[in-house]
Amino acid sequence: MIKSITLQNLLPFVFRGMEASDTIRQSQVWLMPNLSFDRGCRICIQAESGGGKSSLLSFIYGNRNDYEGEILFDRDNSRHFDVKKWCQLRTRHIALLPQEMRMFPELTVMQNLQLKNKLTHHKTRDELMQLLDRLGIADKANQRVGLLSIGQQQRVAIVRAICQPFDFIMLDEPVSHLDRNNNLIVSRIIDEEATSQGAGIITTSVGNPLLLENARFIAL
Amino acid sequence: MKFIYQSDVWSLLRQNISKGQITGYAIANIVGLSVILIGILFYCDSQQDNSQEDQFFTSDYIVLSKKVEGIGFSPISFSEEEIKELSREKWVKKIGRFSSSQFAVNGSINMGGKSLSSYLFFESVPDEFFDVKPRDWTFSPQDRFVPIILCKDYLTLYNFGFAVPQGLPQISEEIVGAVPITLRLTGENMVSEYFEAAIVGFSSRLNTIAVPQSFMDWANKRYSNSNNIPNASRLIVQVDRLSSSQMYDYLDKHDIELAGDKAEDGNIAQFLGIVSAVVTTNGIVICILAMFILVLSIFLLLQKNREKLRNLMLLGYHPQYVAHYYELLVVIANITITGLSLAITFVARTFWTNNLAAIGLGEATLIPTLLFALFYLLVVTALDLFIIRTRLLRIWNNA
Repeated sequence: MIKSITLQNLLPFVFRGMEASDTIRQSQVWLMPNLSFDRGCRICIQAESGGGKSSLLSFIYGNRNDYEGEILFDRDNSRHFDVKKWCQLRTRHIALLPQEMRMFPELTVMQNLQLKNKLTHHKTRDELMQLLDRLGIADKANQRVGLLSIGQQQRVAIVRAICQPFDFIMLDEPVSHLDRNNNLIVSRIIDEEATSQGAGIITTSVGNPLLLENARFIAL
Repeated sequence: MKFIYQSDVWSLLRQNISKGQITGYAIANIVGLSVILIGILFYCDSQQDNSQEDQFFTSDYIVLSKKVEGIGFSPISFSEEEIKELSREKWVKKIGRFSSSQFAVNGSINMGGKSLSSYLFFESVPDEFFDVKPRDWTFSPQDRFVPIILCKDYLTLYNFGFAVPQGLPQISEEIVGAVPITLRLTGENMVSEYFEAAIVGFSSRLNTIAVPQSFMDWANKRYSNSNNIPNASRLIVQVDRLSSSQMYDYLDKHDIELAGDKAEDGNIAQFLGIVSAVVTTNGIVICILAMFILVLSIFLLLQKNREKLRNLMLLGYHPQYVAHYYELLVVIANITITGLSLAITFVARTFWTNNLAAIGLGEATLIPTLLFALFYLLVVTALDLFIIRTRLLRIWNNA
């Protein structure tokens, strides 16, 4: 179990040389000597487009390492994790919904979900159908993802993100293409999942945040 | 991560697999590997000399005799010391002595009531030095039958030198073999005995009228009074072709004459060996090209699937797990290719078996061919797997 994620003096390579600029100095994330996210937290990172929020989540998820500073999982520096460790983290401890969703358009909705679920064996087929039903897309279960609207794809991607046990779930603009009603449904589902596991939620937005209760807002 | 086949992952990854590329690789590889295997098997067959004892490398045989100068009445022969010295030479592999008959031989044939007869002589060498080994090449005193091997040149000489200008029919080896010969052997005590005989084979190595060594030993003992075995007048020597220059020096120095036989089938084997080497080299070139096709195909395939592979890895799939699908594909392809190539090789063998058998070659063991096929399968597969793994790790590292 991972109790906390700590960012120490984190700065993307692309911001090197801009340390003195307002953007970086006013940021509550970049170059913070010791920014910790604890299990059970509800965080919403707000930024303007191009502020580096997707990069931040990629750094934490081990997908990119073009940054200065350190990211610690509890006390372990994530730079030293090997492939096996990352695979374990990605299936047992940290869930991610990337902004670009990274679905497989040639596969059906259910195939996309099972691709993750068969790795983790976290949800039954019925549970997956119930989640799709709550999000109003149960009838799309056997349709190819490529044929769905972006909003529908976003909902499928949300279900896929919770097809695993996690200590933290990171959602990159999860509701950017959803209306307020769907936003509320998604918030409830994510909150239920996180609460049942005692997990933390880290979400980002550029203006349409996930409607979580008691969320702490951080400016990037 | 334990490998459990997932149809969803496979249906995702197989989409960019080009059947054309795989087929192209398979065909190129089957052609290349078949050519190599055919080369190897043909080489083995052509070096498998069935007319002699089991020898992997063929050798040349030479016949040595001492120079006769002027007119000599005392027999010129090799002494025991000379033979011993000779056997110590590097180029000598094996020495056989010619034994000659110590009794008078008269052979006659019956042609339509008319009997033709002639005085003859016999020589013998140990069986292992013959280039032919006919079925009836045995002698026992009870049978009263003597098999004879004649120098091939004698028949050639008759057919092309004598028969045509004299208006006589030319005759084949088979017909000569069918003619019954009656031998009259007369010993020193002037007692004659009669034997049946037939020419059972023709030798291109031995320039003589040869009988089995067992007959020669028996007859010399029976018809000759002296118990001494005379010195060998001629020697047949199996030589190592690689040291032939030393051989000529030695013979020159010791006034020894070298007669004929550069072992015809030895030369054929050598020639066929060169042919096989050329064929095998071509096969290797084709195979290397085929391997390039595969390596490029793998690169291309992984490149085309790069986004999908990265997405799978982001979901938590281990690169090695994903690699298993490609590895499985490559292993199946390579096993199929090797199997088909072996099948083609064995079919091809049927085309040369009879031709090689006619010159006393062929039907070698399959082990070198099978071992090479296995070796090729393992090496190529290992290379493919290595490439797949390193490429996928690079994709993981986003390189």
